[in-house]
Amino acid sequence: MYEAVHAYPDGDATVARQAMTAARYGYDGIVVRTRAALEPGDGGGTRTAPATDPDAIADEYGVDVVDAVEIDADGPAAASGAVGNRRSDRAVVCVVGGDDRLNRYAVEESRVDVLVRPNAGSGGFNHVLARAARDNGVHVEFDLGPVLRETGGNRVRALADLRKLREIVTDYDAPHVVSANAASHLELRAPRELVAVAEEAGFEPEWVREGLRAWGKIAERNRDRLSGDFIEPGVRRGRYETER
Amino acid sequence: MKHLPKHLRPRWRYLAVGIEAWPDAAIGRRAFQRALWYSAGNLLGDAGSADAGLKLLSFSFSSGAGEAVVRVRRGHVPEARAAIGCVSEVDGDPVGIRVRGVSGTVRACEERYMGRAAASSTQRDVAFEDAERSAVVRGDARDVRTESGYVGAAAFDIE
Repeated sequence: MYEAVHAYPDGDATVARQAMTAARYGYDGIVVRTRAALEPGDGGGTRTAPATDPDAIADEYGVDVVDAVEIDADGPAAASGAVGNRRSDRAVVCVVGGDDRLNRYAVEESRVDVLVRPNAGSGGFNHVLARAARDNGVHVEFDLGPVLRETGGNRVRALADLRKLREIVTDYDAPHVVSANAASHLELRAPRELVAVAEEAGFEPEWVREGLRAWGKIAERNRDRLSGDFIEPGVRRGRYETER
Repeated sequence: MKHLPKHLRPRWRYLAVGIEAWPDAAIGRRAFQRALWYSAGNLLGDAGSADAGLKLLSFSFSSGAGEAVVRVRRGHVPEARAAIGCVSEVDGDPVGIRVRGVSGTVRACEERYMGRAAASSTQRDVAFEDAERSAVVRGDARDVRTESGYVGAAAFDIE
């Protein structure tokens, strides 16, 4: 199972600390949403503090570290430009939703992997968006962060939004991911705790685990696509078969 | 009062809980118990909270790390786990919290899951982002003090 986290400078813990905590909690990997936190492929030539090489961090703690980016734009036009720029160098591309136009843009753009925090601001989600998300393979994020950290009315609203989103998304079988949106190692929760909390909120346990595993599947598929051997689905560069 | 016949005594499960916080956090036993009950009351409601129990049996915390044994009524462990997962701060100090394991006796709980953290912490100056900063070192963890509060780093970042 994977968890998608924020890291320093966007959050209060470095990638290495998040990886260390995630390894202890039993995750297979972390998806780092903060673009500035990782420099893939710098080869670890000069050591910096905090560490920014995903492969070195992954080796040290035994969890996968996935380089991702969260695009938080003002509108679809700006988001579209950013997606085009980032698609070729990041394994997971997320678009922050939270307003109707951005939610709509994200689910209709097949280059986007995940629409994160669709309910954060004034944004709504409906059957039209769910169908588009399914057709374009855009995962919809279920953000458990407010359930874990908010109280009172904010939490009630977050729970109500999650329930509505769940009803729409499961009805259309749109792909989903689940995350606690941790900004520091203290906000991270182990998978069993997340499943238990989500179960209290009315989710099926297996469905939540599937949502946690989905991050890893997205990363695996996109790494394959970004590798030089990939031409298009089903077509790869390599040695042809010599024996039949 | 005379104690209950065996078949009427409540059956318990004991949850070993690991706690983590920033080094300057001061978390007391009473505050942690209050946070547990508050979280259970909010998530499970009064009835669910009473069912789960969530009584704190033992608690230790110093310089950013701690552990606790929480007593839960048998059959309500999933709800209790959810309530524990929702403890995000104690007295305004953010905490990381996790259930290390569940046992049928306090003794098994302590033997199997407790007393492994609690590495003593020391203060040290470290290089972080091209500057010398003071950090609190606890095991592999390095909590670096910056202008805007602590940043959680790891030994791997700094050495």
